[in-house]
Amino acid sequence: MAEEQRIGSILLADCGTVMTKAVLLEQVAGKYRFVAQGEAATTAEYPWSDVAAGIRHAAEQISESTGRRFFDASGDLISSQLKGQEGVDAFAATVSASQPLQVVLAGLARDLSVASAQRAAASTYSTVKAILASDGREGCLSEEARVRTIRDASPDVILITGGVEAGAVSPVLKLVEAAALACSLMDEGVHPRLLYAGNSRLRKQIVRLVEKRAELRVADNVRPTWTEENLLSAQAELDALYVQDKMGQLPGISTVSSWSMVPLTPTARAFGRLVQYLWHLGDHSKGVLGVDTGAASTTAVAVFDGRLFTTIRGDLGVTFGGEQLLRERGDETITRWLPEPMSSDEARGILINKEIHPASIQQEPRELWLDQALAREAIRTTLELARPGWKPGVAQPYPYLLPLYDTIVVSGGVLAHAPRPGQAALIVLDAVEPIGISTLVLDAYGLAPALGSVAAVKPLAAVETLDSGALVNLATVVAPVGHARSGEIILKAQVTYDEGGTFSVEVGYGDLEVLPLPPGQQAVLELHPLRHFDVGLGGPGKGGKRRVSGGLAGLIIDARGRPLHLARHARQRQSQNQQWLWDVGG
Amino acid sequence: MYYPFETQITPLTTVRRERMLPVSGDVLAVIGERVEPTQVVARADLPGEFRILPVARLLDVPASGVKRYMRVNLGDEVQRGQIIAKRGRLFAFTVKSPIDGMIAASGGGRLLIEANPTPFDLRAYIHGTVSNVLQHYGVVIETPGAVIQGAWGAGGESLGVLKCMVDSPDELLEAEAIDPSCHGTILVGGIGLSDAALERAEELQVRGIVVGGLPPELVSRVEEVPFPTIVTEGIGKVPMSKPIFRLLRTHDGREASISGRVQPRWGIVRPEIVIPLPAETVPPAQTQPGTPLKVGARVRLVRSPHMGAVGTVVALPAHARRLETGARVHGAEVDMGQGTRVFAPLANLEVLR
Repeated sequence: MAEEQRIGSILLADCGTVMTKAVLLEQVAGKYRFVAQGEAATTAEYPWSDVAAGIRHAAEQISESTGRRFFDASGDLISSQLKGQEGVDAFAATVSASQPLQVVLAGLARDLSVASAQRAAASTYSTVKAILASDGREGCLSEEARVRTIRDASPDVILITGGVEAGAVSPVLKLVEAAALACSLMDEGVHPRLLYAGNSRLRKQIVRLVEKRAELRVADNVRPTWTEENLLSAQAELDALYVQDKMGQLPGISTVSSWSMVPLTPTARAFGRLVQYLWHLGDHSKGVLGVDTGAASTTAVAVFDGRLFTTIRGDLGVTFGGEQLLRERGDETITRWLPEPMSSDEARGILINKEIHPASIQQEPRELWLDQALAREAIRTTLELARPGWKPGVAQPYPYLLPLYDTIVVSGGVLAHAPRPGQAALIVLDAVEPIGISTLVLDAYGLAPALGSVAAVKPLAAVETLDSGALVNLATVVAPVGHARSGEIILKAQVTYDEGGTFSVEVGYGDLEVLPLPPGQQAVLELHPLRHFDVGLGGPGKGGKRRVSGGLAGLIIDARGRPLHLARHARQRQSQNQQWLWDVGG
Repeated sequence: MYYPFETQITPLTTVRRERMLPVSGDVLAVIGERVEPTQVVARADLPGEFRILPVARLLDVPASGVKRYMRVNLGDEVQRGQIIAKRGRLFAFTVKSPIDGMIAASGGGRLLIEANPTPFDLRAYIHGTVSNVLQHYGVVIETPGAVIQGAWGAGGESLGVLKCMVDSPDELLEAEAIDPSCHGTILVGGIGLSDAALERAEELQVRGIVVGGLPPELVSRVEEVPFPTIVTEGIGKVPMSKPIFRLLRTHDGREASISGRVQPRWGIVRPEIVIPLPAETVPPAQTQPGTPLKVGARVRLVRSPHMGAVGTVVALPAHARRLETGARVHGAEVDMGQGTRVFAPLANLEVLR
């Protein structure tokens, strides 16, 4: 305890694929506060080839604004505070800069064990290189074709699932045999690991079958019954492999690790920890959603009933993966979100240029719109992957829509650095399509993963820093669910400001209304939905009062309908996007 | 302080290239040896094809009964068409090897035959001297020369004589300019090239193309042609930056090695042009890699509207400024010459070395 009390200042770092952030927390008047933040390019590559250098560069920016020096002449962290102007008492870091785990998934049924394997793999930074299922198209593959698929994919891990407890035997053993055979054909230096998370009764046979052809790890069956999914054990194994084989291989990571009091944490895990904490603070009948749009990956973290669901698209970020998404899903996937015409070739060119210079920023509005459009699609694609694995319970009143969220935390450069807060809010509304009443919270300083990691060093610091406004309210959003003719009045809203005055509005179906409610202000929002519209206050047609807080983008009533429909014709769609941008002040 | 990314556009430096085998093998070159670009400096055997034969099923016997019909053993070399297993005499069931190879594994009534490995030859890629040998894996080759790093590329490695096809960096490489004298050369264009020019270059079997920008619609096309393409600035209609154009023009007619390989992260690989030069001494580098951006630095702007433009940093304002997008960012004042000064975000500057 005495040891804990000496922690007066904490330096936190987050090493991303493109940018590294450093954050200084310090006790001010007995409470932890966010003091300053610095950001520099990640230095995993030449000429630095040392991620520690990026942390030093980012910390230098904090030094410039605070006068505090963190590193000595030899580049080592000054680990204890001297005279208030040197060093820090604690350091912790989160990391997402490393290459994702390359995974081949194998299972029996596409929509059961393989789907569970996909969700298990998506809980850590991974890229699925190939899928082998025993049903559907892959079911017809010969053993030779399966072995060839695995060998050509050259994965780090082969995750084999299949068979409920006491279920299928022979098809599972065939998958394992193909995987072991593929391992034996690969060069010793690139032998993948084999992670078995299927029918547990086969474990002994599988150990015998694999022999010494591959390093075998065993996790609990991801599908113990037809209806039950149990991913925790497989997720933990994959996470451990990522930390050991990928994060641990980053140049300079051992230096960073030596500075830290606690093990380095994958960024998504730390972000999840923070989102879980926020759930405990809010309305437990709803969920909390966290979205982190990174340069090379997109993370969606949802918490329902205290349970955390982490999903990472390790191959799709706002810098890397856009061009591939365009190729995979067609031209309009991204350009449909633009307020002006752009050919797919032009979009492709801009996306490639961004990959060439990943740390660069847009100087022209067209390029900014494209960046933000890609962010929308990256979030939507990640949520598509995540949703089937969630257990939202009562938070999901409409099965075809997203569950109710009390809070939606958004992190990542494209959102935090959006020139106008309305743009960030609109990206979230378009991508997440929240329903009912939610608070959008922006991680404006890139603190969210850091706060998740500081919880491991000093939980009080995380709590107090959050209380001091480390996360910024972006907007309070009301999104009614229902259908009406365009322009038909569906909601009457009245805002009664704590500081005096009221503001009333009638909202038509299809409208995006922004009511003034700046950060720091509180108000009572009274809603009267018409007909069968549901604003999340107890069901269709039910209204009521709700206390709301102000945000950078104000109070937004998103009456565009759920699911959101974009106009079919490009010209109309562009006008629609432009109108919405104007509506939110973007 | 801001630590910028860097691009090498160096008229004379010591070029060091590590040449590594994908798997362990034999290094053929020795330290101090002079090597030619096409010379094989190391060799390895890459795993070949394989076949899995369901012997039990083909012989119509249970898996446990296969052994007595086998005509080969584990580790045996087999020839294509060679009988591997046989059951019966008059109307015998026979299993023949579909490939030349070796019996690598057996079990469950099946046989795994691995084809003979494919030899892989690692070539020197550049003229130079072997300065180091990495046992079983490769060599380091050194040469004095000019180096130009590209922004984007496609294709593998190539060697040829540089042939400057345009008079200025903002000129398009047109099909009409490509004549039979271009056969076997590396064409240097300016602002980009047309589809017809790419087709003509393919017809005349050029060894490579170097351009400032590449129209986005040609991205997929250049990935298919049999020679590398190097884009020095980026995708779009982008003039080649002047220092690169000048350097390439200076070496018009000289042999160069080029690589179109590109890997934007996790072990960055950039496309490049290496022009070995017969220099005795190499001047020391003017700037050290990985150092902070300073006033006086020669920089290249990497995003529109100034993509590819080169200038000198004349001021590093302390305060952020607003861009056309509305974003407020820290940046630098860059003198582009002829009295033009622009403000560019720090993140959009690359130091030229």
